[in-house]
Amino acid sequence: MTTLGNALTIGDLKTRARRRVPRQFFDYSESGSWTEQTFRANESDFADVLFRQRVATDLRHRSLASTMVGQQVSLPLAAGPAAICGLQIANGEIHAARACQKFGIPFTLSTMSICSIEQVAEAVDAPFWFQVYTLRDKPFMERLIDRAKAAKCSALVLTMDLQILGQRHADIRNGMKAPPRMTPGFLMELAGKPGWSLGMLGAKSRTFGNVVGHAQDVSDLSSLSTWIAEQFDLGLSWTEIAWVKKRFQGPVIVKGILDAEDARQAVAHGADAIVVSNHGGRQLDGAPSSIRVLREIVEAVGAKTEVLMDGGIRSGQDLLKALALGAKGAFIGRPVLYGLGAGGEAGVTRALQIIHDEMDVTLALLGERDIRNVGPHNIYTNELERIN
Amino acid sequence: MSALDRALTIEDLKAMARRRVPRQFFDYIDSGAYTEGTYRANEDDFKKITFRQRVAVNLENRNLSSTLLGRPVSLPLAIAPVGSTGMTDADGEIKAARAAEKFGIPFTLSTMAICSIEDVAENTTKPFWFQLYVMKDRAYIERLIDRAKAAKCSALVLTMDLQILGQRHKDIRNGLTAPPKFTPKFVAEMMIKPGWGLRMLGTNRRTFRNIAGHVSDAVNLASLSEWTRTQFDLTLNWKDIAWIKKRFGGPVIVKGILDPEDAQLAIDNGADAIVVSNHGGRQLDGAPSTIRALPAIVDVVGHKTEVLMDGGIRSGQDLLKALALGAKGALVGRIMAFGLGAGGEAGVARALEIVRKETDTSMALMGERDIRNIGLHNIYSNDLERRQGY
Repeated sequence: MTTLGNALTIGDLKTRARRRVPRQFFDYSESGSWTEQTFRANESDFADVLFRQRVATDLRHRSLASTMVGQQVSLPLAAGPAAICGLQIANGEIHAARACQKFGIPFTLSTMSICSIEQVAEAVDAPFWFQVYTLRDKPFMERLIDRAKAAKCSALVLTMDLQILGQRHADIRNGMKAPPRMTPGFLMELAGKPGWSLGMLGAKSRTFGNVVGHAQDVSDLSSLSTWIAEQFDLGLSWTEIAWVKKRFQGPVIVKGILDAEDARQAVAHGADAIVVSNHGGRQLDGAPSSIRVLREIVEAVGAKTEVLMDGGIRSGQDLLKALALGAKGAFIGRPVLYGLGAGGEAGVTRALQIIHDEMDVTLALLGERDIRNVGPHNIYTNELERIN
Repeated sequence: MSALDRALTIEDLKAMARRRVPRQFFDYIDSGAYTEGTYRANEDDFKKITFRQRVAVNLENRNLSSTLLGRPVSLPLAIAPVGSTGMTDADGEIKAARAAEKFGIPFTLSTMAICSIEDVAENTTKPFWFQLYVMKDRAYIERLIDRAKAAKCSALVLTMDLQILGQRHKDIRNGLTAPPKFTPKFVAEMMIKPGWGLRMLGTNRRTFRNIAGHVSDAVNLASLSEWTRTQFDLTLNWKDIAWIKKRFGGPVIVKGILDPEDAQLAIDNGADAIVVSNHGGRQLDGAPSTIRALPAIVDVVGHKTEVLMDGGIRSGQDLLKALALGAKGALVGRIMAFGLGAGGEAGVARALEIVRKETDTSMALMGERDIRNIGLHNIYSNDLERRQGY
């Protein structure tokens, strides 16, 4: 894989993915809602956090290993839930899950994945995490949780910030439907991306594998889109956490917290960890970046719970900044997708390796040897202003 | 008027260098680590400082000379240690050292230079500074210090911030090595930069001559990062300053300090001066710029030691800002390298002259006659905020 080896940054993988993935699927993930202000701020705000450079400390025997929700991880990082990985590349979820397993970090499967829980469980040995939305079809949700349990998933990630969909213009302009429609435009795209197309012919799944055939009245592609449009439960409340935990009997990570008050509520209602997140800038446009609000949320609940974060992480330095500001670990979404589009499992491995190597060197230049020691003392300045 | 005379700014010299120097060697200089955020901040942050304009002051008989480590300098400036300078232009270190000597400022030779200590000593008359990395092969480092002493180097510059190498993507993409590999791409580069090629053919100095033939193990010099990775001593600590000083028997300047606590530790452990530096933005990307970090360090150790700085200085005004914020002097790396790439020794001389003239005129417009008087009173505003933690 010499060309993947030439990828030195997450940006390089993104460039490669853009060439190989049909445009509507690339655009699907490379989007934020409305003006994409929050989508961009997630990335750019990291530049306003600066490190302290320290020298003359013993830099041998560095360790990047840690724990997340009590599970050993080789890096305080997990692949976050991202829909339709299996449309970035055939069997995408399986590729990503394998790469993560081999690297020693958790992989989170999305409810809206292409390959199902069962297909992924068959393909990997290590337990993975499963993300659930709160849906109106409660029996379906219950069955979903049971299936995650049966597949030995080691944590549930409960998404709280998508009961209504933020508008992503690219999807509408591209006529992006889930599942995709065979328009002439789409067929032209497929012709220009033969690698992807041929791969898809042999894919284990080409639709929403967790839903089709499992949800009531969803037996085929056309009924699926209707179902999605109607399913997200506007009546979601904090009490959801308790019944999900009871059904799953394992750790429940609550994702989509961007406010200290919400963080306190999540913890009070039983969250085992929270993910500071604005859904990758795809929901509330005009929200602050996750890295900006992280510190105030850590101050509100960090003593009582693990605070994770996602949004905008594109490098080992970004991840270190999140850790220094108090996160126990972070999710990455788009870097995994770029890796998939760039080269399947090997591409995801490359993405993880890039982040790992950057973290290792940067950790040393901070004068630290153990990632678990990284904290506010490693920050020179954080110019991101708090809520006012 | 020669092309060099038409160069009015360091930026002009950079453009000339870009045209004359093979791309991989130009890129080596024009690089920072990872996103190059700190590399850019080093330069950009100078814009956030403004001067006080004062008038009706007698501006006759202005003085730009000062001292560094007790020795007279024509300008409070020194050439910073820059690796592989002899790849920017043939015998680059010798040329730069001669230009610095004629100008009246110190030149610092890098351990990772192409021309050796002996090469430079043979071709100059005044003492220069020698920059040292601490490597695992202690016997080699001791011999290196002895050689610097024998060459009558007047100070050692001990680099503390490169025990592990920050990644500079351009170098990897360019497949940078010294000596260069004769790939088709490199040969094509040389064909469009014939002057550089011909000059390189005219010298036998094409490898790391402080190292080649001087280390105990046969080592692959072709890859700088590989060498760094295996040789640089991760256990470097403050106690190393003492034995290095003892061996050298002269002043040791500690370079790579960006934190007041590290500054204090350096002084407590015997540093004769420090250089506030983030290695030109080539190491810890995400560190603050040096001009930003400088005042807090001056506050802590400025009264006990000489605080020098490097990083981002591209003009006489930048130098004056550094001095006004408390630096005793500044080191310049890329100014030298761009000058060298633009025109060899004459190019470095031109670069230094540009800086000197800008410094002189701007100092006058601040109502000052003597550079040793420059201080905080010359600053109108400094928008760079000190460390505020998280």
